[in-house]
Amino acid sequence: MEISNQDFKHCTLLAVKGRVDSSTAPQFSQALADVAEKGMYKIVVDMTELEYMSSAGFRALLATQRDCKKYNRGELILSVVPERIREALELAGFTELFKLFDDNTAAVGHF
Amino acid sequence: MSDYVLLTDATQFISTNSATLLYNQLTVPSLQQITHPAKLESLALFRELIQDFCQDINVEVLYDIQLAVDEICTNIILHGYKDMEPASITLKLEFDPAEIKISITDTGHPFQPKQPPDINLHATAEEREIGGLGLSFVFMSVDDLQYESTASGNITRLLKKI
Repeated sequence: MEISNQDFKHCTLLAVKGRVDSSTAPQFSQALADVAEKGMYKIVVDMTELEYMSSAGFRALLATQRDCKKYNRGELILSVVPERIREALELAGFTELFKLFDDNTAAVGHF
Repeated sequence: MSDYVLLTDATQFISTNSATLLYNQLTVPSLQQITHPAKLESLALFRELIQDFCQDINVEVLYDIQLAVDEICTNIILHGYKDMEPASITLKLEFDPAEIKISITDTGHPFQPKQPPDINLHATAEEREIGGLGLSFVFMSVDDLQYESTASGNITRLLKKI
């Protein structure tokens, strides 16, 4: 798993690549917490190169969403979600909790 | 193979595909077993074995099997071996023309995986239960799950139709 960040005027885009499982999820979770700690609660998670995500990764997303939505200060949205991961999001009922965007420009533009 | 290419008859074409399929089934070993320490770092090694074993299977089936095994093994590593010296996990994969049989053996505390209650799709992020998602994924990904706890260890058996 690899993570990279890009700061925009109104949000941070965090790209997660490769495979997120229980062994790599803490690193993913920490990267999300680091963004929020900087006071940036508007986060786009770019999943273009995400190959795999187990429930541990989904839990990290949910915990961050809770933090971001507190006091209406922001939210976490998902961009370019691969088909198989989108199916898992739907089955987990996560499409109700996260807005999904087809490309990063639209996602960043949401904020 | 070149003889087949010349044939334009649809039936012949299908039989060529069947022959290729049969050939693949004969060359890929029909049973594989591996044992790794019950540590989170082993999850990637189990996924690799599944990937090698399922190389001729469609990617969705492969993903489902990897996900189910990942979630079961994570539970064993984090909860099964809790407060005891972590031992190992053995993953066994068996090929059948119509299905893949998977067995996961550990010697930790017995833990019967049960289907979690239906997810409340209308709950907000704040209300949403954070646990149980892994097992929901397991039950969504495989066609059958059997669990047995014996004197020699716990065995989780999964079945995936292909």
